[in-house]
Amino acid sequence: MKPSKLAILVTALMLPPCGVVSADEKQNLKSKKPAVSHGHRGAKTFHIDHLDGATITYIRPDLSSQSITPLMGKVTIPVSGVDNYHALVVEKDWGDHKEVIIRYQYMFGRPSKQNPVKLTAAQKSEFEIVPDPLPREHYRYHSQQTWGFLARYQGELLSNHPLILTTSNGSQQTLYTDEHGRVTFEIPDDFPGLTEGERSKETAQLTISGEYQQNDMNHSTQLVADYRVNPSHWQSTELGLLVLGIGFLAGGYLGQNLKKRDKKA
Amino acid sequence: MSTLNLSVIRKLVQISAFVFFVYGGLITGYYLEEKLSGALPALSCAYDFQGSDLCTLIPIQHQMDHRLGETIAKGGNLLMGVMPTLITLGTFLVLFVILNKAFCGWLCPLGTFQELLQMIGQKIGLQRQESLSKSLVAKVRPVKWFILVLLVFGFPLLTGMGMLNHDLGDPFCKICPSRILTTLATGSTEQLHVDTANVTTITLTLFADFLFGLMLALGLTLRQPFCRICPMLALHAVFRKMGLLRLIKNASPRCDRCGLCAKACPMDIHEIHTDMTSRNVTFEDCTLCGRCVEFCPDKDVLQLKYAFIPIFRADPHYFKKRKKAQTNWEKQSLLNWFGNKGSNSRAEPS
Ligand code: SF4
Ligand code: SF4
Ligand code: SF4
Repeated sequence: MKPSKLAILVTALMLPPCGVVSADEKQNLKSKKPAVSHGHRGAKTFHIDHLDGATITYIRPDLSSQSITPLMGKVTIPVSGVDNYHALVVEKDWGDHKEVIIRYQYMFGRPSKQNPVKLTAAQKSEFEIVPDPLPREHYRYHSQQTWGFLARYQGELLSNHPLILTTSNGSQQTLYTDEHGRVTFEIPDDFPGLTEGERSKETAQLTISGEYQQNDMNHSTQLVADYRVNPSHWQSTELGLLVLGIGFLAGGYLGQNLKKRDKKA
Repeated sequence: MSTLNLSVIRKLVQISAFVFFVYGGLITGYYLEEKLSGALPALSCAYDFQGSDLCTLIPIQHQMDHRLGETIAKGGNLLMGVMPTLITLGTFLVLFVILNKAFCGWLCPLGTFQELLQMIGQKIGLQRQESLSKSLVAKVRPVKWFILVLLVFGFPLLTGMGMLNHDLGDPFCKICPSRILTTLATGSTEQLHVDTANVTTITLTLFADFLFGLMLALGLTLRQPFCRICPMLALHAVFRKMGLLRLIKNASPRCDRCGLCAKACPMDIHEIHTDMTSRNVTFEDCTLCGRCVEFCPDKDVLQLKYAFIPIFRADPHYFKKRKKAQTNWEKQSLLNWFGNKGSNSRAEPS
């Protein structure tokens, strides 16, 4: 596989979502004072290398789109005004090689009333890797989780096709799509320096990439997304079960007491 | 037909609703946009990815935190800040007007689960706590209001205003038994945990797990233990006069104050027996289950009415059959079965 010439370095702050989120996504552990949660409806900025000649399209949940002009290697996604996933598609034609990077970004605003499937189903480039499904609104990819992805060329699913998962923490894994063009990757639990029992709000970037040769044209595609530390590092199911058991015993005791009290009465 | 009574019909509806609300997302879809109302007046949980809808309490908490709270903190337009909550409450009300508190008695997955626990308790021979005393009921009743005001509205609002830490942005969800129940029902243990991130998360998760265990055990001997402190019941109580389905009492001239209705009531609403003046007796804790109507022996004294149309009325013939069916049902327990087996084997000559 050829090394990617376009590189996307996402430095946009992944601001806290307002829906169903785990609290770990929202609080700076080191912050002692509670802070006002700032608006998360603003524009987001991405740094992308080798942008000259690239076309950048920003697609809203209703599939309306606009071109974006980068400014000094930076792409700023404008405020959309509606919530739900939006897609940022960066394409560059190198002559014998077409390259595309796609990122699905959750934006906040008034309800878009659109189903994210509409966005994933739409063809955004000739060769693309599509999340199947996208994390539900307000959720995120986390390490240790298994997620599905589809490989499509001109809307057709590609079976038995190699896709590579790489992470900014240094992991790499290659898998082949099944007969339905789908592959499931387990996101590596590869954050360095975690302390068990302590919450971490670190994020890293995962990239799923693939190549496809059609006639003389080589297509390469990357799907990029952020992922976070799995909360199981600071959430214990065993302890939860133990406490549930204690609650059960307490409930049994309370139930018996109520019964006795009733009999006396 | 002797076996098909209102309780049996209700059980069938409850089981279907449980399956639909806990697993129906497999049909309706996985994304929030695909959920039915987004403001259901029952505890169908948003944390259950296979669910078909989500309860109204989660958007309210998030809107208090991220919309109204933040708007107040920034000195923004209050109307804009409160608008999402008004829309959520509006959706809730549209549904609520149709079925009123029957969302609890007929559709809520957690309500159904507690009834199931009580049936298990009865079947394994644990004696059922018949009715709680008036004084205990009176002490417990305000708890649901405190939970509604503090955990659903207050803490999330203060969090949005920057006065509390972010882990208190949705405190009711963090202790809600439906979150643990419905996710466990889909085979996920993700929501049953102790979160050691900080003191707030430790406290909330310890409390949630303890409360769930407590509910499991109490549910075996006491009817609807969590419902009695459920903030959704309190939210229903605020709007209960607007619902089309109502519990009506025509006390005079036939009610002879036998008290059978109050005994049958799973929420121990003693007033259903003692109140001889109100006509609409859909009290704040009522779940419109209709058991009091079934067990009222006096013709037409208690009625379930939809708008002005009676849909189920107390009737002495029905009462007799229903009582008999109940006695037979209660006789069938493991304890009785073993007892009978024991006495049979003793009776049989060796
Ligand atoms: S945790 Fe409880 S209150 Fe929160 S969404 Fe689930 S059912 Fe509703
Ligand atoms: S009161 Fe009971 S039945 Fe009603 S919403 Fe709460 S748990 Fe469900
Ligand atoms: S008052 Fe009647 S309808 Fe209401 S909860 Fe009690 S038994 Fe059910």
